[in-house]
Amino acid sequence: MSEGMTHEQAREALEALALDALDASERGAVMAHVATCAICQSELAALENTAGELALAAAPIPMPPAQRDRIRARLLARAAADRAPELSAAAAPQLRVETGRSAAGGDVTPLRPYTKVRRTFGPAAWMAMAAGLVAILGVGAFLKASRERDAARQSLAAVQAATGTQLAALDSLRATLTARERMISSLIGPQVAVMTLASTNPASPTGRMFWDQQRDAWTFVAHRVPMPKTGRTYQMWLVTPTAKISAGTFMPSPDGEVMMQATYALPKDSLAAVAVTDEPMGGSPQPTTAPMMVASK
Amino acid sequence: MNPPSTPQSYLDQGNAASVGAGSGQGRAVESEDEALVRRMAAGDDQALGVLYDRWHPVVHGVVSRMLRQADDVEDVVEETFWQAWRQASRFDRARGAVQTWLLTIARSRALDRVRALRRRREEPLEGDDGQDVVQQVAEGDPGLDAEASERRRLVVAALSGLPAEQREALELGYFGGLSQSEIAERTGQPLGTVKTRMRLALQKLRSQLQVLGSEGEGSG
Repeated sequence: MSEGMTHEQAREALEALALDALDASERGAVMAHVATCAICQSELAALENTAGELALAAAPIPMPPAQRDRIRARLLARAAADRAPELSAAAAPQLRVETGRSAAGGDVTPLRPYTKVRRTFGPAAWMAMAAGLVAILGVGAFLKASRERDAARQSLAAVQAATGTQLAALDSLRATLTARERMISSLIGPQVAVMTLASTNPASPTGRMFWDQQRDAWTFVAHRVPMPKTGRTYQMWLVTPTAKISAGTFMPSPDGEVMMQATYALPKDSLAAVAVTDEPMGGSPQPTTAPMMVASK
Repeated sequence: MNPPSTPQSYLDQGNAASVGAGSGQGRAVESEDEALVRRMAAGDDQALGVLYDRWHPVVHGVVSRMLRQADDVEDVVEETFWQAWRQASRFDRARGAVQTWLLTIARSRALDRVRALRRRREEPLEGDDGQDVVQQVAEGDPGLDAEASERRRLVVAALSGLPAEQREALELGYFGGLSQSEIAERTGQPLGTVKTRMRLALQKLRSQLQVLGSEGEGSG
């Protein structure tokens, strides 16, 4: 008998186990017994059904229509993405969705190298640089987040199968899972605008900004971003017709990958572009260099 | 885990409108909810939408009872249906009705959030404050169809038949997410007393639901 718990002792705790009200110290021992006892397994299943019915005692509460529809839209978007065939990285470009204004006919209109951009750059210059870019669905980022989510889910299931002594690990995994689910939602939700930032040199960095307009969440994913010089950092800007708003600084990983998230409420129609500049460590109140990456809304 | 060996007639009645009263465990006709879950398992996201439309008020009611913050409630409602989507292929009609399965998911996800919030904020309790749910039955069942409403009536009637202290232990554990030790601390009762009350409460609820379910079948 595991951890000294007899059948009688375990049986007396099955109701509390079915209600998930056992203290952690007791839960592991009861579950260890149940795992080896067909009688207790059967009894627990019946008790769990009864416990499940308790939920009906709570009065149903209709949701406000906006909230009801918001959740529904997110669920259907997630489900549609979930049932899609497994996408390979090679297939990703085929899923690009153009939203128009591509002047060169390609997926991404190359920008002038940033070294040739005018050193004095007002809003008009930023608009000019942003013109012609297209929005592209970030399949790579979505797949990455999906894989992380699935890994977290598998880990969570494994830990749940273990004893109750691992509650701390469970907490951490649940937090990871929740964060990944939220990130996926902010990448594929119905009100997410996607912008691609690019430059001319094939070896230059590329990035995508996902703007979840419902949650005011900004997720920036970039590749091939070189490490800035000592004492320098990168800074993200949200450009409106009247202001350049800092969305924070970031540093790439050693292999040039960037994943940055920020929260900022911006009226839907006021964004003209997003851009990245090279700034002194700690960031600047306003851009002090020409943008190295930029994209229109 | 093996299927329950105990009588489950009350569970089968949960889908009486399409199954037929008294059809028992061996029923072959698929309920509307079961058909939706089967379609979900096959990847039909529109079925998820229909299931959501049917059950979101009930799920929202349970989750709202356990969590106070609107953001938490919204997240958990969404995660409930998302988990149902992901685990639709694991649904086993022999183990209970779709609504029981769905509400078990909802309660489990809400409980995770309640406990995470309590650990994070070091607050003694988030959610249920011991308020008696039984009184809420007279307020009507917005969003519930006739069969679910009848099922809810049975559950509330069975709860009403419990001694107050047993019902309190049950509700603090189920809706409040409190462990037996926490309930003992909250109510000032010895731990052994709380354990006994909780055990007896669920046993009585189980038998009451069976009796009431049988009476419903007999009269229907």
